[in-house]
Amino acid sequence: MPTKVERWKDETYGMEIREHLERFAQEGFDAIPEDEHDAWFERFKWWGLYHQRKGQESYFMMRIGTPMGRMTPEQLRTVGEVAREYATGPVSNPEFDDAYADFTTRQSIQLHWIKIEDVPDIFDELESAGLSTIQACGDSWRNIVGSPVAGRDAEELLDVWPIVEELHDRFKGNDLYTNLPRKWKVAVTGDRRGAGQGDINDLAFEPAIKEIDVSESDSEARQTASDGSEEVPGFNVTVGGGLARKEPRLARSIDVFCRPENAAEVAAGLSGLFRDYGDREDRFNARMKFLVDEWGTEKIRSVLQEEYVEYELPTAGQGLREEYDYNAGRADVPGDYVGVHDQADGRNFVGLSVLVGRMAAEDVIELADVAEKYGSEMIGLTQRQNVIVGDIADEDLDGFLEEPVLDDYSPDPHPFMQGSIACTGTEYCSLSIVETKNRMVRYARWLTDNVAVPEGVSDFHIHLSGCTASCAQPQIAEISLRGMKTRKDGEAVEAFDVGLGGGLGENPRFADWVEMRVPADEVPGYIANLLEVYESERDGEESFRSFVADREEDELSSLAEPEETSYEDPYLGNTKMTWYPYAEDDDMSASPAPTNANGEPLPTDD
Amino acid sequence: MADRVLKVNAFTTFDLLEGRVEGHGFAEDAFATLNVRTAREDPDNVTLELELDNVDLDSVPPHADRVTLSAAEARTLAAELETAATRIEKTTDDGAEQQSDTGEEP
Repeated sequence: MPTKVERWKDETYGMEIREHLERFAQEGFDAIPEDEHDAWFERFKWWGLYHQRKGQESYFMMRIGTPMGRMTPEQLRTVGEVAREYATGPVSNPEFDDAYADFTTRQSIQLHWIKIEDVPDIFDELESAGLSTIQACGDSWRNIVGSPVAGRDAEELLDVWPIVEELHDRFKGNDLYTNLPRKWKVAVTGDRRGAGQGDINDLAFEPAIKEIDVSESDSEARQTASDGSEEVPGFNVTVGGGLARKEPRLARSIDVFCRPENAAEVAAGLSGLFRDYGDREDRFNARMKFLVDEWGTEKIRSVLQEEYVEYELPTAGQGLREEYDYNAGRADVPGDYVGVHDQADGRNFVGLSVLVGRMAAEDVIELADVAEKYGSEMIGLTQRQNVIVGDIADEDLDGFLEEPVLDDYSPDPHPFMQGSIACTGTEYCSLSIVETKNRMVRYARWLTDNVAVPEGVSDFHIHLSGCTASCAQPQIAEISLRGMKTRKDGEAVEAFDVGLGGGLGENPRFADWVEMRVPADEVPGYIANLLEVYESERDGEESFRSFVADREEDELSSLAEPEETSYEDPYLGNTKMTWYPYAEDDDMSASPAPTNANGEPLPTDD
Repeated sequence: MADRVLKVNAFTTFDLLEGRVEGHGFAEDAFATLNVRTAREDPDNVTLELELDNVDLDSVPPHADRVTLSAAEARTLAAELETAATRIEKTTDDGAEQQSDTGEEP
């Protein structure tokens, strides 16, 4: 039997949700019938709106999908202006003040405290700048991820930006793919870094080269070998990756090579296959990874060939995986885009570290102004929650690097300030059981001030998630922190399960979970102790990831002990029980929500 | 060490309980999560699921246990829990009264 969500989707879904959103915006939040809240909130996701958690009723998170995280400075400024005007709530955040934008691990932007009454005006502002929230959430094609510097990266195999634009245009607002059994996440990678992180996507195009006989080829040869064959750049196709639930999966090869000109057809075929054969009776089993588990890759390939694709699919080509360095935990190269890098055209792109991906609205606007001042035409958000400014000429580089906004968003940050990712946490999220972003900021500062960085370590990735959902991608970090509870001095306190040694790259691996329920205030001490052991026991220049991979479970569990230190944690109590963790009176009963368009409390039945 | 089997989020019934696994010749204490689940759609039973933290256990492999209850069984369990809770509270209250009667600080 189809699920309740499927029934809601059958009634109203996709583009038509917009007219209802606009109606509710005009009539006010309380025009949404209470007994229909669940159905409408589920549908609103398709247009990028998530209702915030208990205690914050009538406020929404808005997600803006930027393909490959790519924007113009003008678009970035629009994001900052919208955040400044609309993304403010009843209480400030002690670390980030009133208005800010969150850059996400899928290269999107999230704004909070959005009132439904403001949504039409926000849509107008975003859309007039060429931005949209369409399908940013919900059961459909999500934001396509990949390297934002495609076409600029001096090292890439092929420029995938035109392909991503084609996919974005074709699959956003397309009735055929509006309503899938579950979310559909796609990565397209043309670089040699593996910056698309395709391994954790439902569908990934991974860079590859295929030798094809000239007589079979109708495309322009890139390299012609002496035997008359051509080496054609394109993609190997993998499916069924994902981190959610207790069963993370790396995407699996279906032994298909795809030329750039065929990417849309193959993508249409695979998302059509998922639409038609995915599980609509059990949402927990609905993701593509479970269909791949059930069918196996050979059947996926054969059904794709027989039912969805008109041409004969070539077998996989030679991938570039051994060159991947993005979040690869390598000791020889950094695992992200932070810093100054060469562009193919002789200019530079500059990656700036944005701690936990959160940037104040005023800083967003300032960065847009600075980018424009230096002639940049490209801003990029990365999957490591950082931001890139492209197109800086050599002669302008010194001036750009001295801009005041780079004091807070540095291209050369301390390693502990560079590698941190955190999800939304109990600040706004319904699922989380611990505070995340502000805590990760405090961890990073404490580690920077108190812990020596092991020699040779340029970036050190700590991913902090508020629950067993995987929004901060905790399985693919050097240190994975996942929210739990424990008891300390007789009190229930926020805590973390700890995993070690995960990451992507040539040989992707998920973290080994080594500690459970470490009190949140003892995590920095644990990391300090762990790094001391790593530095003293590692083999030469051995990377942390390799150090972990070389050790057995028992040894990993006894590597280091949690410890109280000078670190102080203001969020140890049960923040999920507050209406907002940073409110002076944080008791649920003190919440002003739900509120009207002006933020004034609405009457409730209570 | 294996990952948790049960997901744990804000909807989990209990994310922090004290548990014990016991068998012939072994007994170990560990923190536990306990969750009451029903299907989102037209549920016809209740699932009670329990997982002890595997990091604290040597005697059993990482796992979770589940039992399925009908509505009537769930009510029976709820009633017994209610009765037991009342008994605890009564004992506590009595104890407090007795302590007060002796003039000691409660």
